[in-house]
Amino acid sequence: MQSAAIDVVITNRRGRARRYAVVLAVLLALVAAIFAVTLSIGKTITPPAEVLRVLLGEAVPGADFSVGQLRLPRAVLSVLAGLCFGLGGVAFQVMLRNPLASPDIIGITSGAGAAAVFAIVVLSMSGPMVSVFAIVAGLGVAMLVYGLSFHNGVAGTRLILVGIGVSAMLQSVIAYILQSAPAWSLQEAMRWLTGSVNGAQLDQALPLLLALLVFGGLLVSRSRDLDALRLGDDMAAALGTRVAQTRMLVIIAAVGLIASATAATGPIAFVAFLSGPIAGRIVKNDGSLLIPSALTGAVLVLAADYIGQHLLPGRYPVGVVTGALGAPYLIYLIIRVNRIGGTL
Amino acid sequence: MTDHLLAASGLSAGYKNIEILHGLDLTVPPGKITVIVGANACGKSTFLRTISRLIAPTAGQVLLDGKSIHRMPSRDLARTLGLLPQSPIAPEGITVADLVSRGRHPHQSLFSRWTRQDDEAVDSALSATKTSDLAERPVDELSGGQRQRVWIAMALAQQTDILLLDEPTTFLDINHQIEVLDLLIDLNHTRGTTVVMVLHDLNLAARYADHLVALASGHVHISGTPEAVLTEETVRQVFGLESRVITDPISGRPIMLPIGRHRIANPQQQEKRA
Repeated sequence: MQSAAIDVVITNRRGRARRYAVVLAVLLALVAAIFAVTLSIGKTITPPAEVLRVLLGEAVPGADFSVGQLRLPRAVLSVLAGLCFGLGGVAFQVMLRNPLASPDIIGITSGAGAAAVFAIVVLSMSGPMVSVFAIVAGLGVAMLVYGLSFHNGVAGTRLILVGIGVSAMLQSVIAYILQSAPAWSLQEAMRWLTGSVNGAQLDQALPLLLALLVFGGLLVSRSRDLDALRLGDDMAAALGTRVAQTRMLVIIAAVGLIASATAATGPIAFVAFLSGPIAGRIVKNDGSLLIPSALTGAVLVLAADYIGQHLLPGRYPVGVVTGALGAPYLIYLIIRVNRIGGTL
Repeated sequence: MTDHLLAASGLSAGYKNIEILHGLDLTVPPGKITVIVGANACGKSTFLRTISRLIAPTAGQVLLDGKSIHRMPSRDLARTLGLLPQSPIAPEGITVADLVSRGRHPHQSLFSRWTRQDDEAVDSALSATKTSDLAERPVDELSGGQRQRVWIAMALAQQTDILLLDEPTTFLDINHQIEVLDLLIDLNHTRGTTVVMVLHDLNLAARYADHLVALASGHVHISGTPEAVLTEETVRQVFGLESRVITDPISGRPIMLPIGRHRIANPQQQEKRA
């Protein structure tokens, strides 16, 4: 009898591990597939063999420019930004146990965006300094929102409402700076309003990759503590998680990811917000949401950019497509949370 | 059998500027069931939250085997001291077996693999709480009583020698209250787990406690056997209520009958109140 029950426990656990591995493999394959499509099928179709030769650094007449200079930087930046947004978003959502607590809803993305626009337009900065500036501003906004909503501990709802207010304010700062910069092209302006990977350069990828390794690594090393936080702060503490310390590290790491990605591509609308809940639907409770959500973010950005570039009449920046996807989900979520008080 | 000694000495704690516990001293008898009672806002929950390190004391300390728990590594502490808080959250759709296995958290690290020992701990927690049959069911679908048993199973999977529970019977109907309390006695008897819990119901507290502690305005008002603690005088001083205490014919423990302003059949009692 004893052994029958323990078999259920073991089967249950193995089932979770197996399903989790399958989910990761499928998401990875999906990222790879859309990446490959982005490289080879655009206005013109480049055969995979030629794409490979370009990637290996050979000079291929005709494909050199379209694949190496246009599509590759775009795809690489999409993947990296998607990973950063997905990871940073889900970290906040899990930590605060509320899908609405995503950095793009509570003002952190707009903070980083406003700082980046300010740095570029007013201070004429460029390159990695813009990222640093955006990270500092993102952390500042996070602390501001956290501080304003602090009252006998932080209640999720208050933090979200304060964040939405702060976010609206920062959006108008972005709009104001863009307005007062006469030489600003519509293309560039769109980047800071909805996010775009137009005009991507490979050298933009390096700071993003670095942020992903440092901040992403930090988050993943804390994934078990984040998982414990889903049971409530008290329960997590009872299980030996240092709640305050974990929360601080998670905020720093997630803001680092979001701000770095925002500095590179602008605030690609709703990717941080959507990735976690989508990953949550797929993973259920089979394992940590961090990596599945990061991969989902990459899928979203790659796919949305491809749709915006090639499948719609006209060309739209990636943020327009993700925005169109995210808005209905936001409405659905608000209705659902209202009705059943659902969590992630 | 546990020999860990948990004690509070000169413990003061509270929230923001309000101090709720004022220099409280208490030693938890090892291997026994200690129940804490008291009026609303007397500091019961604050006390439990402080000795489980959810709140830092403003003065005094909580000692586990003579060492301050606020200076112990949190995972080490979590292997000795378990806590079932008042409202833990079950992630949507999580299965019973999965939730109970989360109790193994302090026994694992980032790189350690799940071992046979972990499986056995989960299995024995499920069977001790009679939730083995529920193992594959989603927690959302369970009744209140079943759910509470599952949370207790999770705390058991943690395999701590001391288990703290904050009002484990709230929101349960009476038969589930008894079921949960009986279960805690079983654990105490079979595993020797030291149990410390806050209960609202004085009579259930007196029935199930080995050691009963009555708190009043942030102090231990009185502690000892239920017979010594649950007296008409204690009820008057701690709750401001007139009562009669008689012997419960079922348990042989004291049982308290409140005397209010109405529904009093015996005029003598009416006078006593006046």
